[in-house]
Amino acid sequence: MDLAVQIATSGILMGLVFGLTALGLTLIFGVMDIVNFAHGEFLMIGMYSAYLTSTFLFLEPILSLPIAAGVGFALGIGVYYLLVKHLLSGPMVAQLFGTFGLMLFLRYFVMFILGPDPRTILHGFLVGKTLSIGAVAVDLSMVAAAGFSTGLFILVSWMIEGTKLGRALRATSIDTEAAGYMGINTEWMRALAWGIGGATAGIAGGLLANFYYITPTVGMLFTMIAFATVALGGFGSVRGAFVAGLIIGLIMMVAGQYLSHIKLAFVYFTYFLVVVIRPRGFFGW
Amino acid sequence: MRAVVRILKDTFSLNDLSRGERIAFASFLVVIFLFPLFVRISYFRSVTIKFLLFAMYGLGWNLIGGYGGQVDLGQAKNVGFGAYATAIMMTWWGIPFWLTVPVGIMIAVLESFAVAYPMFRLRGHYFAIATLCVALVWQQLFLFWDWTGGARGIELPIKPIPNFAYMQFRAVGYHYFILALFLAEFFFMNWFRKSRMGYQLQAVRDNEDASASLGIDVTWTKVKAYLITAAMGAVGGSFYAVYHLYIDPRSVMQLDLSILIAMTAMVGGAGSIWGPILGAAILIPLDMYLGALFAGKGFYGIDFMIYAFIIMIIASQEPRGIWGIVEKIRGRARVSGS
Repeated sequence: MDLAVQIATSGILMGLVFGLTALGLTLIFGVMDIVNFAHGEFLMIGMYSAYLTSTFLFLEPILSLPIAAGVGFALGIGVYYLLVKHLLSGPMVAQLFGTFGLMLFLRYFVMFILGPDPRTILHGFLVGKTLSIGAVAVDLSMVAAAGFSTGLFILVSWMIEGTKLGRALRATSIDTEAAGYMGINTEWMRALAWGIGGATAGIAGGLLANFYYITPTVGMLFTMIAFATVALGGFGSVRGAFVAGLIIGLIMMVAGQYLSHIKLAFVYFTYFLVVVIRPRGFFGW
Repeated sequence: MRAVVRILKDTFSLNDLSRGERIAFASFLVVIFLFPLFVRISYFRSVTIKFLLFAMYGLGWNLIGGYGGQVDLGQAKNVGFGAYATAIMMTWWGIPFWLTVPVGIMIAVLESFAVAYPMFRLRGHYFAIATLCVALVWQQLFLFWDWTGGARGIELPIKPIPNFAYMQFRAVGYHYFILALFLAEFFFMNWFRKSRMGYQLQAVRDNEDASASLGIDVTWTKVKAYLITAAMGAVGGSFYAVYHLYIDPRSVMQLDLSILIAMTAMVGGAGSIWGPILGAAILIPLDMYLGALFAGKGFYGIDFMIYAFIIMIIASQEPRGIWGIVEKIRGRARVSGS
C-alpha cells in the first residue's frame, strides 16, 4: 500500500512537469499546425540557464527560473522569426525537418560551448532534500517542480481562456485569415505562441535541473515524452496536455518500478493504443 | 508473355524522363561502377558504400513518404528487423546470409502489417508520431531483451577467407553488392511509379476523398505501400549487418536513423525518383566530410551545427528539395528558350 502511494505520488509529481512541458508544444501546434522537434532542446537550454546562473552567479536555483523563462521566451520568438515563419508555407515534411535541424543545431551548439559532460546542480535550497509524509518520501525539489508547474499551468490556461490576448490567440488558431481581418496581429500571435512555448519549456527545464542530470542530449527524451503527451491529450488541447501529462507520469513511474529499462516503451505503447481507439487523443479537435 | 515483356519494359525504360536526366543517370552509373577500380583509399570507398546504402533506404522511404505522402518516421525499425534477423541467424545458427534476408523481410512485413491498419486511421502529425512511437517501442525492447544481445549488441563472426554464402569479401565486393541492391530497388521504383498501384498511391496522396470516390481502396493502397517500404528497409538492414559486422539497437534502430532516412528523400525531393539519390549524394558525404574536418580538433559538435544549419536552410527555402531547384531552373530555361 505504501509502495502504491509512493509510486502514485511521484508519478503525479512527474506528470505535472510533463504536462507543463507539453503545454508549450500543444499551444504551438494549436496556433499553427506545426510539430516542434526542438521542444526538448528549449527545455535543455532552460536547464543550462538554471545551472549556469546558480553555479556562476551563486543564485538560488529556484530564483533562476525567471532567467530560464526569459531565455526560453527570447529563443522561442527568435526561432519563430528566423526559421518557423519561413517553414509555414512548406509541406509538413519540410516543417518536421526544419525543426529537426533546429533541434540538432541547438543541441550541438550547447555541446560546442559547454562540452558534452553531464552536470548537476549541487547547491541550492531544495537540492537533495526529501519530504516525508507518513511512509511516503519524495524529493523536495520534485514537489516544488510540480507545484510551480501546476501554478504556471493554471496561469497560462487562464491567459488563454480568460484574457483578451488569449482570445486573440484562440481566434488565430481557429482561423488565421479571419482573425487577421478582425484586426488581430496574427504574425505576432504566432510568434507569441512560440515565445510562451519556449518560456514554459524553459521553466520546466529550470525546475527539472534541480533533480535531473543536465546534458546537451537530454532534450530528445523530453521531446518524445512531450510528443506522446500532446498526441495523447489531443493536438492543440491545453486540458488534454494536463491530463495526458498525469497519465504518462503515472505510467512511467509504475513501469519504472517493475521494468525500469523499458518504461518508455510503455509510454509510447500507451500512446499507440489510445490513438488506435480514439485517433484524436482525449481532447483533440 | 506479352505481360512479362510489358513489365520488363516498364521496369527498365526511362523513356518518360528527359534526355538530360537519362544522360546524368547513365554517367552516374558509369562513375559509380568504375569508382572502386580507380579509388583505392578505403575511406572514400566507405563513404560511397554509405551513400549507396542511404540512397537505397531513401528510395524505399520515398514510396510511402514521397509517392504516398505519409510521413513515416519509423523506418529504422524495419532496418533493425533486417539487421537483427541476419545477425542472429548467422551468428547463432550459422545460416548463410542469403537465407536470412527473406526472414528479415518477412518479419518486417508481418510487423508492419500488424500495426498498419490501426496506424492508417491516423493522418498527418498523428500518423508521423505514431510511427515514431512504434519504432521507439521496438528499440526499447531490443535494448532490453537478452536474446538480441541487449545494449551490447551482436558481433558477427568473421570468416578467414572470402566467402560468398556468408557475404564476406574485401571492400570492393561490398561496393558491387550494394550497387546491385541499389539498382534493383531503383528499377523496382521505376516500375512502381508507372504501375497501376503507383498511380493509385499518388492519387490517394493528392486527394483521398476523390480517389475513394473513384473506387480506390484508400487504406489498402497505403498499407501495401507501407509493407513494400518495410521490406526495402529490411534488405538494407541485412546488408548493414554483414557490412559492419556489428549491430546494436543504437546503430540500427535509432530515431536519428529513421529521420535521416526520411531526410535523404526530403532533401533530394520527395516524390521524385531522383530525390533520394540526390539527397543521399549531398547529406552523406557532407556529414562524413564535416565529421572528418573537425575530428580531433577540440571543436566538438561544430560539424553537426553546420549540418543542421544546411538542413534548416533547405527546409525553409526550398521545401521541395534539390529536385525542386532543378525543376525551377529547367522551367526558367524552358520559358526563355521558347
